[in-house]
Amino acid sequence: MRSPDTATVQRTTLRPLLVKEVRELLSGRALWTMLLILCPLVGYSFFQAIALYSEASGAARDQPVLATSLSPLDGIIVPTFGAFYVAVTLLFPFVAIRALGNEKETGALKLLVQLPYQIPTLVAAKLAAISVAWLIGLIPVATALLLWLWFGGHLNPLETSNLFLGHLLYGILIGAIALFAAAISDSSATAAIVTLSFTIGSWVLDFALAGQSGTLGWISRLSLTQALRTFEQGLFSAALVLGMCAAIAGFAALAAIWLHPGTSLHKRLTLTILCVGLAGVLLAVVTQLRRSSDVSEDKRNSFPAADQRALAGLKEPLIITVHLAPEDPRYVDLQRNVLSKLERIVPNVMIRLVTAGQSVVGSAGEVSYGEIEYSYGGHLAKSRSTSHREALPLLYGLAGIPAPTPQTGEEYPGYPLVAGGWIALPWFFVALPLLFVVAWWWWSRRAPHISPQFVKSNGGQL
Amino acid sequence: MMEAALLQVAGITKWYGDQQALADVSFDVRRGEILGLIGPNGSGKTTLLEAISGLLPVDAGGVLWQRTSLPQHRRREVVFYLPDGLRPWDGQHVIRVLEFFTSAFGGEAADLTKAIQSVGLEQVLGKHVASLSKGYARRLMLALALLTPHPVLLMDEPFDGFDIRQTREIMALMRRVAAHGRTFALAIHQIADAERVCDRFILLVEGRVCGIGSLDDLRARIGQATARLEDVFLALT
Repeated sequence: MRSPDTATVQRTTLRPLLVKEVRELLSGRALWTMLLILCPLVGYSFFQAIALYSEASGAARDQPVLATSLSPLDGIIVPTFGAFYVAVTLLFPFVAIRALGNEKETGALKLLVQLPYQIPTLVAAKLAAISVAWLIGLIPVATALLLWLWFGGHLNPLETSNLFLGHLLYGILIGAIALFAAAISDSSATAAIVTLSFTIGSWVLDFALAGQSGTLGWISRLSLTQALRTFEQGLFSAALVLGMCAAIAGFAALAAIWLHPGTSLHKRLTLTILCVGLAGVLLAVVTQLRRSSDVSEDKRNSFPAADQRALAGLKEPLIITVHLAPEDPRYVDLQRNVLSKLERIVPNVMIRLVTAGQSVVGSAGEVSYGEIEYSYGGHLAKSRSTSHREALPLLYGLAGIPAPTPQTGEEYPGYPLVAGGWIALPWFFVALPLLFVVAWWWWSRRAPHISPQFVKSNGGQL
Repeated sequence: MMEAALLQVAGITKWYGDQQALADVSFDVRRGEILGLIGPNGSGKTTLLEAISGLLPVDAGGVLWQRTSLPQHRRREVVFYLPDGLRPWDGQHVIRVLEFFTSAFGGEAADLTKAIQSVGLEQVLGKHVASLSKGYARRLMLALALLTPHPVLLMDEPFDGFDIRQTREIMALMRRVAAHGRTFALAIHQIADAERVCDRFILLVEGRVCGIGSLDDLRARIGQATARLEDVFLALT
């Protein structure tokens, strides 16, 4: 029997807590149910993606030029991860909420907060366990990618890793939101409603405000869906990664503030305001970072390599004035084909949208509407084209440098592949779910190891 | 052997809206004693234990440890509270929960063995917590309490769910643990149980302390030298 010892209360190791948290998630039905739903969801997306990719690849056999547009990132990986994204958005919150909700409902939280762990440590351990659950949930996607390789498909490690990173951050962010929701709610059902209001509300935000300018446009960029889109386009954005990390830290901190039942409401509210303010400042700072890298194998987010090198040498400020409404499809084209690429490569570029806040209907009658003005080194040029093929020669003219000669051998070859995706169906609809059911059964039925010393009688004396 | 105050509860007041749950509650807890918080259901016993352990914010008052103020966030260093009717981590095996507590507090296998055998949990170590009977769930909670190194243990209705024989065994166990220097504060609504195990009593009615002391002290207050605790309680409340 232990003797009273206050010193022991203050020192402990993290391992038992982490093990306990992972066991808790594995003991719940939510994770296993999500896995069973994920199998057909991911499997069907993968099958459909392969069917479409194979069809396009078949056409590329007759016309080789078409092959260059066949990217496994767009054709296979993004759609397969897309099914996983839906499950993480709608089902993963229920898994993550269990990490705390069950302890709140059973009262075990009152024991947990008395253990020799700091509250942030408890939240961090729960978040770590949630990350482990997310990784387990990734098994169907991982098997889909392995099947793709087995079919002879191509995966670029860099762009695949980048997309994985995006989904990992998204999953942990959903987990952090779920933890916060569980911390402020009395029941898991309420926590689920709160979390889904974030995730589904994010979709609504995306649909309703995407393409808007000004404040509405800024708000639409807070959508969780928007965050993943950058990774899906093969971009690694430091600002986005740091922003998502700041959001995760913010929600985790809020969960920590609301976790301890002994904290007064006044203190919780004060700390919440401070936390939200700090997270807001952090987000505002990181969004100022413009560093992003094009990690896509086909360099879709960059100009041709020769142009990239030439444009990187433009040291003076480049000012681009755009006379287009933000929701105008031409602006969307211009943004994708020219502006976003210039922002990444030209050291000093400023883009002004003079019709911000105006609608297409209200502005289209103006003579200047549709013009794009490029100003560099005191020279000015105008264009109405949204293609880089017209914009770049203008810029070279303004800068007084010759247009670079395109180099051969730099083109993206494309990876056409005709594969029989139907082979994947039995795996995702029968074998993998069966494996999960067996694993679930084994986990719930297994007997723990009990050391003989625990049951050997010593008379029951202290 | 009783000593000077180890822990002092000083003027704890708690309001739930316009209802006062605890009204300026003050008393001392002495090293190695078994202190009984006695009162009917709804008298504020659980609220008081949660307030002392720092699991419930209070409107006024505080706790002193060896005459030094003990802030709320540091209470868990000296006090461990076991709530009533808890089945912690009910999806886990009993042995896993016990091992988790042992590891979290830096205990050793020998501590765990003694705790298991002391409360008689050998037969259910491989069961899930959710499948335990009420009595075994109580034993589990008691084992968890014994695995902690805290000088003061606060327990809410520790005998609820035990039959007479088991209750006496648990009382004997508490006595032995208290003899090793551990202090117990027990919230009990069964006055007969409290009389059998506690050294001193806090009589609590509607959040107010109506009497403090040993049975002899309380008997002296009502002037009945042979009165049972039940009679004392009725006379003072």
